[in-house]
Amino acid sequence: MTDHLTDAVIEIDSLDFAYPGGRPVFENLSLTIRTGHFYLIRGASGAGKSTLLRLIVQLEEPTAGEIRFSGRRLAEYPPARLRRSVLYVQQTPTVITGTVRDNLLLPFRFRANGDLPPPDDRQLSEQLHRFLLTDVDLQADAKTLSVGQLQRMCLIRGLLLAPAVVLLDEPASALDETSRKVVEETAEQLCATDGLTVVMVSHRRFNPVALTPVTLEIGRLGIERVE
Amino acid sequence: MITGALDISLVQLLLGLVFIVAAGVTSILHSLGLERDLLIGTVRTFVQLFILGYVLKFVFNLSSAWLVLGVFAFMTVFAAWEIRARVRERQVSFFFPLLISMAVSYFLVAYLVTAVLVGATPWWKPQYFIPLGGMIIGNSMNAIAIALERLLGDLRERRHEVEMKLCLGADYKEASRDIVRGAMRSGMIPSINSMMGVGVVFIPGMMTGQILAGADPLLAIRYQIVVMVMLVGATAVGSLLVVLLVRKMCFGAGERLLLRSM
Repeated sequence: MTDHLTDAVIEIDSLDFAYPGGRPVFENLSLTIRTGHFYLIRGASGAGKSTLLRLIVQLEEPTAGEIRFSGRRLAEYPPARLRRSVLYVQQTPTVITGTVRDNLLLPFRFRANGDLPPPDDRQLSEQLHRFLLTDVDLQADAKTLSVGQLQRMCLIRGLLLAPAVVLLDEPASALDETSRKVVEETAEQLCATDGLTVVMVSHRRFNPVALTPVTLEIGRLGIERVE
Repeated sequence: MITGALDISLVQLLLGLVFIVAAGVTSILHSLGLERDLLIGTVRTFVQLFILGYVLKFVFNLSSAWLVLGVFAFMTVFAAWEIRARVRERQVSFFFPLLISMAVSYFLVAYLVTAVLVGATPWWKPQYFIPLGGMIIGNSMNAIAIALERLLGDLRERRHEVEMKLCLGADYKEASRDIVRGAMRSGMIPSINSMMGVGVVFIPGMMTGQILAGADPLLAIRYQIVVMVMLVGATAVGSLLVVLLVRKMCFGAGERLLLRSM
C-alpha cells in the first residue's frame, strides 16, 4: 500500500476514450506507471499508443475515468506545470524557423517557464555532446539537421525543463538503423543514468541493453503486460 | 456648382440592356453557357437595386434612429451569414463571435466616421450612416473571411507546431501567436494595398458615383479618403476581434487544441 503511494508517478483509472464521432479507443483502461522504470508500449497502428501518451499530457480529454500525476488529478495542475514535469516528445520532430540555439531556448520564451534560468551556450553544447550531436553547431539553421539529429535536438529541448517523466512517441520510426540505435540508447540512458521514468511507444521490437523494460501491449481488450 | 445629376429615365435605363444583349450574344456565339446566369443576374440587379432605392427613400424620409440601426444590424447579420457559408467550418461554431466582432467593429468605425470625420448631425443621419456603414460591411467582410479561413486552416495545418509549444509550457496564446499574426496580416493586406493603388490604378466606385451625381471632385476625394481609412480601420479591428475570439474557441480546458484535421 505504501509502495503504491510512493512509487506510482502516473495512475490511470478506469479510463474511457473515443475521438468525437469515432469508435472507442479505450474502455475501462487502468494502468500504473512507477517511478524510475522504463516502459515499452507496443501495439498495432491505430491501437491507441500515441493517444495514451496524449491523454497523459492533456492533449486529449478522457471521455470517462481519471488520470493522476504524483497522486493528484491532472486538472489540478496548471497545464504548463504538468507538461514541464511530464515531457511528451512528438513522433515527428517539430522545429521553429531559426538556429539550433533558437530551438533549444524556445521553452524559455514562454511565460510559465519564466522561473527557469535559460541555459548558456556552454550548457547547451554539453547537452549536444552528450546526445552525440558533437558536430552540430548552435548557430546552424535547424532545418539543415537530419531527422535523427532533429529527433535528439527536440528531446534535449524538452529535457532542459528537467522533467520527471519522459513520454516518447515512436522516436525512432523515421530513422535509419544507426540513428535508431542512438535514439534508443539515449532513451535508455535517461532512465538508467538519469533516473527518469521513461515511457516509449514503439512499433517494433526493442531490446534495451542497460535495463529491463516493462513491456505493455495495447490490444482490443485494453492494455496488458507482456513478460 | 451643379447640384444633382442628370436624370436617367426608365426608357434610357432599359436602353442600357443593349450591353447585356451584347454579352448574351457573345455567350451564345462562343458557347459559354452563361445566358441563364446573365438573365438572372440582370433581373436581380434591377429588382434588388429598385427595392434598395425605395427602402432607402423610406428610411431617409422617416429619419428614425431605430430604423437606421435596424438596417445596419440587418446588413451585419446578412454579411456574417455570408461569411459563415463561405468559410465552411464544421468543428467550431464561430457565428456568434463573428457577429459580435463585426457588429462592434463596424458600429464603432461607422460612428466615428459619421459623427467625427464627416460631422453629420445627428450621427445616425441615414444619408450618411447607411451608405458608409454599407461600404464598411461590404468591403471588410471579405477581409474577415480571409483572416478567419487562414486562422482555422493554419491551426489545423500547423497542429504539430502548436502542440509542440504547448508541450513545452506555452499557453494557447503563445502557442498560436505566429498563426494569429499570419491571419491578421492576410486579412489586412488587401485594404492596405488598395490604399496604394487608389487614384492611380483605379478610381473608386464611390468617388465616381459622387462625381457623376454632380459633386466637386475635390469634395469627392475627401470622402474617398475617409472611406479608405475607415476600411483599413474596420478591417483591422474586425479581423483582430474575430481572430482572437475564434482562436479561444479552438482551444479547450488544459490548453488543448480542439481542431482536428478534416
